[in-house]
Amino acid sequence: MIKGYLGVDVGSVSTNLVVIDDQNQLLVEQYLRTNGKPIETVQQGLYAIGQELPADVQIAGAATTGSARYLTSLIVGADIVKNEITAHAIASSALAEDVKTIIEIGGQDSKIIILRDGVVTDFAMNTVCAAGTGSFLDQQASRLLILIEEFGNYALKAKNPVRIAGRCAVFAESDMVHKQQLGYNTEDIIAGLCEALVRNYMNNVGKGKEILAPVMFQGGVAANQGLVQAFNKYLGLEVIVPKYYGVMGAIGAAILARQASRKKIKTSFKGFNIQEINFKTSSFECKGCSNACEVVQFYENSELLARWGDRCGKWEMDSM
Amino acid sequence: MKISFPHMGYSYLALKWLVENTGHECIVPPEPSSRTLDLGVRHAPEFACIPFKILMGTYLEVAEKGAEVILTSGGMGPCRAGLYWVMHQYILDELNTGVKVVAFEPPLCDLKDFIKKLRWVRKTGGLSVKEFVQAIRITWEKIKAIDEVEMLSHEIRPYETNRGETTRRLWQALEMLDAANNEAEIKDAMQEGLKLLQEVSQDHSRNPLKIGIIGEIYVVLEPAANHYIQIMLGEMGVQTDRSIYLTSYTRKNTIVNLEGDIFEVAKPYLGEAPIGGHGANSIGETILYARHGFDGVVQLAPFACIPEIVAKSIIPTVTKDYGIPVLTLFIDEQTGKAGVQTRLEAFVDLLEKRREVKAKRGIERLVI
Amino acid sequence: MSKIGIPRTLAYFIYFPFWKTFFEELNQEVIVSSPTTRDILDDGVREAVNDACIPIKLYHGHVAELASKVDYIFCPRLVSVRKHGDFGTETFCPKFLGLPDMVRLAMDNLPEIIDVRVDLKQGKDELLNVCYQVGDLLGKPEVEIKGAYQRALLIQKRFKKLLSQNMMPEEAIDILFANGERKSLLSRPDLQIAVIGYPYAIYDDYINGRILSLLEKENVKVYTQDMLSDKMMNRQARNLPKSMFWYFSNRAVYGALHFMQQKNIDGIIHITAFACGPDSIVDRLLEIESRRHGQIPYLSIAVDEHTGDAGVRTRVEAFLDMLRFRRDKS
Repeated sequence: MIKGYLGVDVGSVSTNLVVIDDQNQLLVEQYLRTNGKPIETVQQGLYAIGQELPADVQIAGAATTGSARYLTSLIVGADIVKNEITAHAIASSALAEDVKTIIEIGGQDSKIIILRDGVVTDFAMNTVCAAGTGSFLDQQASRLLILIEEFGNYALKAKNPVRIAGRCAVFAESDMVHKQQLGYNTEDIIAGLCEALVRNYMNNVGKGKEILAPVMFQGGVAANQGLVQAFNKYLGLEVIVPKYYGVMGAIGAAILARQASRKKIKTSFKGFNIQEINFKTSSFECKGCSNACEVVQFYENSELLARWGDRCGKWEMDSM
Repeated sequence: MKISFPHMGYSYLALKWLVENTGHECIVPPEPSSRTLDLGVRHAPEFACIPFKILMGTYLEVAEKGAEVILTSGGMGPCRAGLYWVMHQYILDELNTGVKVVAFEPPLCDLKDFIKKLRWVRKTGGLSVKEFVQAIRITWEKIKAIDEVEMLSHEIRPYETNRGETTRRLWQALEMLDAANNEAEIKDAMQEGLKLLQEVSQDHSRNPLKIGIIGEIYVVLEPAANHYIQIMLGEMGVQTDRSIYLTSYTRKNTIVNLEGDIFEVAKPYLGEAPIGGHGANSIGETILYARHGFDGVVQLAPFACIPEIVAKSIIPTVTKDYGIPVLTLFIDEQTGKAGVQTRLEAFVDLLEKRREVKAKRGIERLVI
Repeated sequence: MSKIGIPRTLAYFIYFPFWKTFFEELNQEVIVSSPTTRDILDDGVREAVNDACIPIKLYHGHVAELASKVDYIFCPRLVSVRKHGDFGTETFCPKFLGLPDMVRLAMDNLPEIIDVRVDLKQGKDELLNVCYQVGDLLGKPEVEIKGAYQRALLIQKRFKKLLSQNMMPEEAIDILFANGERKSLLSRPDLQIAVIGYPYAIYDDYINGRILSLLEKENVKVYTQDMLSDKMMNRQARNLPKSMFWYFSNRAVYGALHFMQQKNIDGIIHITAFACGPDSIVDRLLEIESRRHGQIPYLSIAVDEHTGDAGVRTRVEAFLDMLRFRRDKS
C-alpha cells in the first residue's frame, strides 16, 4: 500500500487537484474550470481523480488552498487549510531549494513571492486591477479570434513587438484596436500584448521587489511561451517554468497535507465518492440588530456543517 | 433637532448618548454596510478615498431617516479629509436632502468658530452651560471606557480557547456601557466589562505573534471599513496593537500635541512633517513597533490616500533598516474580505517562519 | 561651474525663470530635462511608487533623464509660498512635501539633490534665506547670492507680466531667455475658453494630448488661471465655504470661479491628473459650481499614462461643437 496526499486548489477560474506520494512525486492531477460552481466542481474533480488513482494508493492526508479553501475543506474533509501564497511557496521550494523569486500568474490573481534561504521574506498580490493577470490575455485573444493556446506560438514569430499602452484591459484593448488599424501584423501585436502584461505585472505586483535568480514562473499562464520570452527579456535572465506549472498551488497543499498527517492519527478525508452527497448552502437575514447580517449555512445532506457571515458571532459555527 | 454624525468604530455609542442628553433627537448612524458603500460610491467623486465614500453613504442613510444636522470634524490640511464636509455639503445640496453639515474645525486653528458651534448645539438643545459641560464630560468618560474594553479584547483574543468568545463578550461589555448614564455607572460598566473579558477561557501557553496596526485614521478605527482586521488577526492567534484610538487622537489634536515625538522618530526618513493625515506617523510608528519587539506591522490606508502613499514609498527602507516586515493594505470599494484574509494569512505565515528562523538561526535550514 | 538639473514638470512652468536666473547669476549651468516623452513617462512609471499619481511618476521620469547629465538635481521641498487659506495653513500637495524623500529612496545612482525647504509663509525674507542656503551649498559668498536673488526676482516679475498679457509659460520663457518673439494673436477667435488645472497638466503637451495647440487650431482663444493676478483670484475665496489646502488647487478653483463669472467665456475645460487626490475634490466642486453659475459648459479631462491624442481630440471637438451649437441657437 502506498500513501498518497491530496491537495485541492480552488480558485475563481480553475480547480486543481493532485495526489502526491511520500517523495513529493506527483501521481495524478486534475484540472477543471470552476465556472462559478465550486461545490459541484470539487465533487466532480474528486470523483475523476479517484478513478485515475492506482488502486494501491491510499489517501493519508488532504489539504485545501485557493480562494474557496474554507468551503472546499468542508466538502473534502481537509486536515489543513492554507492560503495560496504559502502553498505556492512550499511547492516551489520543494522543487528547487534555492528558488529566490516566484512569479505566479493565474486567471484573476497574480502574485510575487520573494524567498531567501527557503523562507518567504516578502510577497505581494495584484490590487484591484486585472492588467497583470491571465484574464487580460484571455480577453485580447478572444478579441483577436485566436485561441489562447496559440498565443505563445504567434508571439514567438514576432520580429518587432508593438508597444501596447495600457494600465488596464479596457485601455489596452482600445490601443490594440488602434494598432490594428495602423496595419501592424498579428504576431507583433500579440508579442506586444505579452510585453504589456509583463510590464503591468512588474509595475503593479513586482514594484520595488528585489528579483533574484532562480526565478520560477508558474500558474496557468506560464504555458504561454510568448510570456516566458517577455519575462526573460524584461528581467534579463531565464525564468524557470516547472513541469507542473499549472497545479503548483495544489502540490503545495498536498505537501502540507503530508506534513499535517504526521501530527494526526487519522485523516479527516471523506473519500472520493462524495458525488452522492448533497452539499448545499442556504442563507437567511439575521434580525438580531440593525446590521441585518446575511448568515450562510452549509449543509451536508441534512446535517448542518458550518455557518458564517454574521458579524457578532451569534450564529457562527465552525466544524474546524 | 434631529442630529447625526459619522460612524467610526464603537464611539457612536458615546456620541449617541451625547446627542440624546443635550436636548436633541439622535439619528444613530448605522454601521457601514454594503448599501452604505453603494450609496456613497454612486454619489462621490470616483477618485475620492473610501472614507469619503462611506461617509457620503452614511449621510444619505441618516438623511433618509430624517436627520437635519450632521456634526462632523474639519481639519487644517493638507490631508483632503479636512475638506470632506465641504464636498459632502455640496453633494447633499445637489441631491436636495436639506441636511446641514456642521463641521468642528480644530480649536487650535479657529477657537472662536469652535465655541460658536458648540454654543449653537447647546442653545438649540436648551441646556445651561453647566449641564452641557457635564454632558460632554460624561461622553468623554464613555469614549475612554469604550477604548479601554476594546484594547483589552485585542490583548485577550489570541489566547481564547473558544473561538469568538472574546468578541461576544466585547459586544456584551459595549452594551453595558451603552446603558450607563453617569460617571459612576460608566465606571461600574467598564469594570464589569473588563472582568467579563478577563474571564474568557484562555490558553496562556501560547506565544502569539505581535502585529502593530498603523495607517489612516478612518480605516484604522472603523472595523466595517477594514473588514474587522483586528478580530480577524486575533482569531488567527495574533495580538494586535493599534496606533490610533479616539482617546489618543482627540487628545493629540485638541488638548496636548503629543505628536512631536513621533515626527522626530520619522525624521531620518522623512525630512518634512506633518505631511497630512497620519503619513509621517505611519513611518514613525513602524520604527517604534520595531523597537518594541513587534513581529510585524500592517499599514491600512484608503486606496489613493495621499499621505499614506508617501509613507508607503518610504517604509521599505525602514523595513530594511529595522528588519520589520510591513504589509500595506490599500482599501477601496472593491476590496473583498477574502482578499484581505488571504494576504493576512500569508503575512502571518511569513512572520511565524521568521520567528522560527530567528530562534534557531544557523542550526537548521528551513523549508518555508 | 556645476551643472544644475531642473525637471521640466511640476513647478517648472511657474518658477523656472526665477531659478534659472538665480543659478546663472551664480555662474552655474542650468540644464532642463527635455519636454515629456514616452521614455520619460515609462521611466517614471517604473521608478515611482505604484500608487502615486501621474505627475509624481512623471517627475521621477524627468529626474531619471537628468541624472547622468548633471552635478545637482534641483528638487526643492515645496511646502508653501504664502500664508493663505482659512487657517493660514495652505501648503502644496502632501506628495510635494515628501517629494525629495520619495525620489531619493526610489531611485539609485542619483547626483546630489538640492532639497532646500521652501516655506515662504514663515516670513517676507524667507525666499532670500532659501537662496542663501542654496548659494551656500554651491560655495558662493552672501553678497553674490543676494545679487543673484534680486536679479532673479526681477526676471520672475517680468515673467509674470508676460503671463498676464495672456501668454503661455513656455512662450514667455522663450522671450525672456532666448529672444523669442511673441506669437501673433488670433485676430478673431471663434470661441473663448478657460483651461484650468495644474500647470504641469495644462502646459505639458505630451501628457495632455496637445490640448492647447488643438484649441488654437480650432481658432479658440485660451485663458488659464496663471494669466490672472493673485488679487483677482484671491477675491474668489469668499465665494467658497472653505478654501482648499493646496496652493495649486486654490489657484485652479479661484481661476475657474473667476472665469465662470466672465461674460466672454464660452466654456471651462478642467484638466485633471489621474489618481490626483486633491482633484477628486476640486473637479466635483467645479462641476457643481459651473451648474450654479448659469450652466456654463464644463468639460473635465483626466490625463494619465496613456492619454492618447485621439481620445482628447474627440472630447474637445465634441465640446467645441456643443459650444458653437449653443451659441448659434441663442
